Amino acid sequence: MKTNRMVSVIWHFIIFTTVVILIFPVVFSIGVSFKPLADAYNNVLNFIPFPLTMENYAKLFHTLPVVKIVFNTFIVASVVTTFKLITSFLAAYAFVYFDFKGKRILYFVLISTIFIPFTVTMIPNYLIVSELGLIDSVWGVILPQLADAMGIFLIHQSMRGIPFSLIEAARLDHISHGRVMKDIVLPLVRPSVTSAGIWFFITTWNEFVWPVLILKTVDNYTLPLALQMFISSEGGTDFTVAMAVSVITMIIPLALYLMFQRYIIGTFTSSGIK
Amino acid sequence: MELIRPVKTGFRVSQKAIARLLLFPSILLFSVFTFWPFLYTIYLSFFDWNMVSPKKKFVGFENYVHVLTDPNFLKIAVNTFLYIAILLVINFVVPYIFAFVIGIVLKKWTSFYKGSLFLPAFISLVVGSILFTWILNPVSGPVALIFGWLGWEMPVWNKAQGWVILVLSLITSWKVFGYNFVLLYASVNGISKEVIEAARLDNIPLWRIFFRIVLPMSSATGIYVLIMTIVQGLQYVFTPVKVITQGGPDYASSNLIYHSYHEAFVLFETGHSAALSVITMMIFILLLVLEFKFVERRVYYEN
Amino acid sequence: MKDIVFENVSKTYGKTEVVKNLNFRVREGERLILLGPSGCGKSTTLRMIAGLEEITAGNLYMNGRRVNDVPSGERNVAMVFQNYALYPHMTVRENITYGLKVQKVPQDEIEKRLDHVLEMLQLIGCENRLPKDLSGGQRQRVALARALVKRSNYFLLDEPLSNLDVQLRISARKELKKIHDLYKQTIVYVTHDQIEAMTLGDRIALMYDGKLQMLDTPENVYNRPANVFTARFIGSPPTNILKINYFNGKVHIGSQSFTLSDMWVKHIGRKGTKNLLLGIRPEHIEISAQPLENSLRGKVKYVENQGNEYCVYTNLEGQEAAVISGHNHWRPDELVYLRLSGHRIHFFNAETEKSIGYPEALLDKQSPSHENIGQRMSV
Repeated sequence: MKTNRMVSVIWHFIIFTTVVILIFPVVFSIGVSFKPLADAYNNVLNFIPFPLTMENYAKLFHTLPVVKIVFNTFIVASVVTTFKLITSFLAAYAFVYFDFKGKRILYFVLISTIFIPFTVTMIPNYLIVSELGLIDSVWGVILPQLADAMGIFLIHQSMRGIPFSLIEAARLDHISHGRVMKDIVLPLVRPSVTSAGIWFFITTWNEFVWPVLILKTVDNYTLPLALQMFISSEGGTDFTVAMAVSVITMIIPLALYLMFQRYIIGTFTSSGIK
Repeated sequence: MELIRPVKTGFRVSQKAIARLLLFPSILLFSVFTFWPFLYTIYLSFFDWNMVSPKKKFVGFENYVHVLTDPNFLKIAVNTFLYIAILLVINFVVPYIFAFVIGIVLKKWTSFYKGSLFLPAFISLVVGSILFTWILNPVSGPVALIFGWLGWEMPVWNKAQGWVILVLSLITSWKVFGYNFVLLYASVNGISKEVIEAARLDNIPLWRIFFRIVLPMSSATGIYVLIMTIVQGLQYVFTPVKVITQGGPDYASSNLIYHSYHEAFVLFETGHSAALSVITMMIFILLLVLEFKFVERRVYYEN
Repeated sequence: MKDIVFENVSKTYGKTEVVKNLNFRVREGERLILLGPSGCGKSTTLRMIAGLEEITAGNLYMNGRRVNDVPSGERNVAMVFQNYALYPHMTVRENITYGLKVQKVPQDEIEKRLDHVLEMLQLIGCENRLPKDLSGGQRQRVALARALVKRSNYFLLDEPLSNLDVQLRISARKELKKIHDLYKQTIVYVTHDQIEAMTLGDRIALMYDGKLQMLDTPENVYNRPANVFTARFIGSPPTNILKINYFNGKVHIGSQSFTLSDMWVKHIGRKGTKNLLLGIRPEHIEISAQPLENSLRGKVKYVENQGNEYCVYTNLEGQEAAVISGHNHWRPDELVYLRLSGHRIHFFNAETEKSIGYPEALLDKQSPSHENIGQRMSV
């Protein structure tokens, strides 16, 4: 089947423009982070750094405990991801392979929490974290983020796709639930679990709303909070340094993107949300 | 004939006990960090409190009355719906059309498009906010310069009613667009190619294929993205609002979510904040119910 | 005794009763076929034996022990699933040995059993392939192999051949028989295919609507159907069931009648049933263009070519009667004469639809061997 050439060309133009608009800021920020401040102001449209300078990064490492902040962010993102995957996997397994009273209602209630705006739980969660003495601590950032039904939903979707008879065959062989999970179910839902894991990691890495309530001192900051410090003066004087922080914030997500972008799109496309 | 001897376990854990064990961590987490807070917020909405004082004063519906009669409430509510409307167009309608075009109409460059549209979804919205405040800086940003050459004037958007909402929505969309696009693309791409081919053989125009075939057959995902665009979109908007305008100028960029935060953590009026959250929740529930009533019935579930 | 006993077993899902009060026994070492149309409860029955479905009421005994609450894994059953249930991420070897490994069967024993089944099922060379790289027939054999290495006393098969094409099905049937001769397990085999049931079964349990309709040898199920359902379900084209009036030693159909042999007259007299249905297979009616002695007159409606023979559908006093004919001279609306073979008719009580039995003289007669039945029924 042929599509009218003209129609094609117009659509390519529209979509390509959108791509440029979406990608340009990223390229721009990387370029500017290697430019001297003065040049960045005088030569706004030239985002290709020449002469190339590391002074913004030097200045950044001078003013902020960058290593500590990256480490904090990494801890939060990995702990949240790991725990969410484990608890979601176990819960999804229970929902798919067990029958118990109130199962449908429980599942419905859990999944509905995806639609609860964070403001509804924000004050009490703040009080809990404060009661636990975890204000200004990465653990205070981690804990409330563990209750997220997205993982249960995604893994449940994918587990449902496994033919039930596979698990029955294993049960006939007297294989325990632990082994069934490890040897049969996990390998078969691994693509979804991996995608969900990468996605959780990035989301938590980038999380801003909750850390902004909990973290008070720069030493305990995560990257998005550190970045926010540079905007208070409306794109103020340290713009090029802000770009350097942006680049550091983006490195890991961009690396994950380059490695897994196709994989994640692939899992979406094959399993999808139904 | 040799047989496998069935293993005799000393005690047999009942199936129900295993299910409970598996669900326990999730239920514990959700009880502590979602269900209890949810109820406690409702409770707090009936009290006058400042988050630190040992005493909470019961005030009945006074918080609701106060919040609803606040001269800024109407503005904030209108802002909220403006955000929703803009987000729906940019993050639901446009990605749906893109998903159709890239999935069905175009044959070349599709995986490049998919990949690059998805990229911003991986990047922090704070990064996006910072970048766009610079790029869209009304005086010295690159866009302002280009406008200047063309003889146009760039609105001082962060100080202008209306413009500020549009720009903040655009910044949010920069991140959300690709994610929604990929979900919708996955669904559109899942429609059997035979159906589309058959329609094209019959020379049915593309817009008709979109409305009569693609839209109905991908509607399950469509609905999901629609709801998420509203519910999560507003929460995403929180980041640029907090980072760039703090709700200003004069509440022009605030919305129900941000205002609820503002009442709680800037003004320390937990009662007002809780009442606002409950109202927000009710509006969301109302939207969901409307959606179920009018749309869900016609949904085509792929499986 | 490695037998299986159903005692008043029922199964309900919510309000629907899918299996109703089953009472029967599977004998040690026999091949019992659960046969029936889809939705008749045969798979549920099999799955209750496997322990994959809970039993709502009644008792299930295996080897003399009540197993209602014994989990699947402790029942010592092996099962082949309709979709084979092969683990897609494991190679053929891993699929076959996984259960044994988890059960901590010694490695050399595992190897021994593996080599044995691989050879027996001609799977040598496929050990390291994944299920997706196998043909349908190979997958079916891997599923069989995986069940066989367990060396279980009970071997359950749920429509194991339904995903194969006809040629493969015939060879797989032979293979199954060979395997059973070797291991002598108690086999319960679910199918909706009557040819499979006839060729494989020592006995057939015919189910319909959650109830056991008949449990007997293939010969008896074919030749002595216990009820109207059995008569119509087994054989193709199905047995003609005709509404008749019986009096004065004559069977009246509409305005016509034919005379019954003495043995039938006596038998019916003894039973005393007034209201009867007559059943006769299409191949047991003689058709002729000329009047025959003791025959009925009918009109040809249409003719179906069945390859080696023709099935002539006739209008017999307003009722349809199918007749098998060796040739195709029949034209629509042609007048024909039909003679029902007296030895081959069945009578059913019109109210209960149950067989009224057969005259003793007929019961003594040799039944035709069941290979012939298989041929007779192949469509």
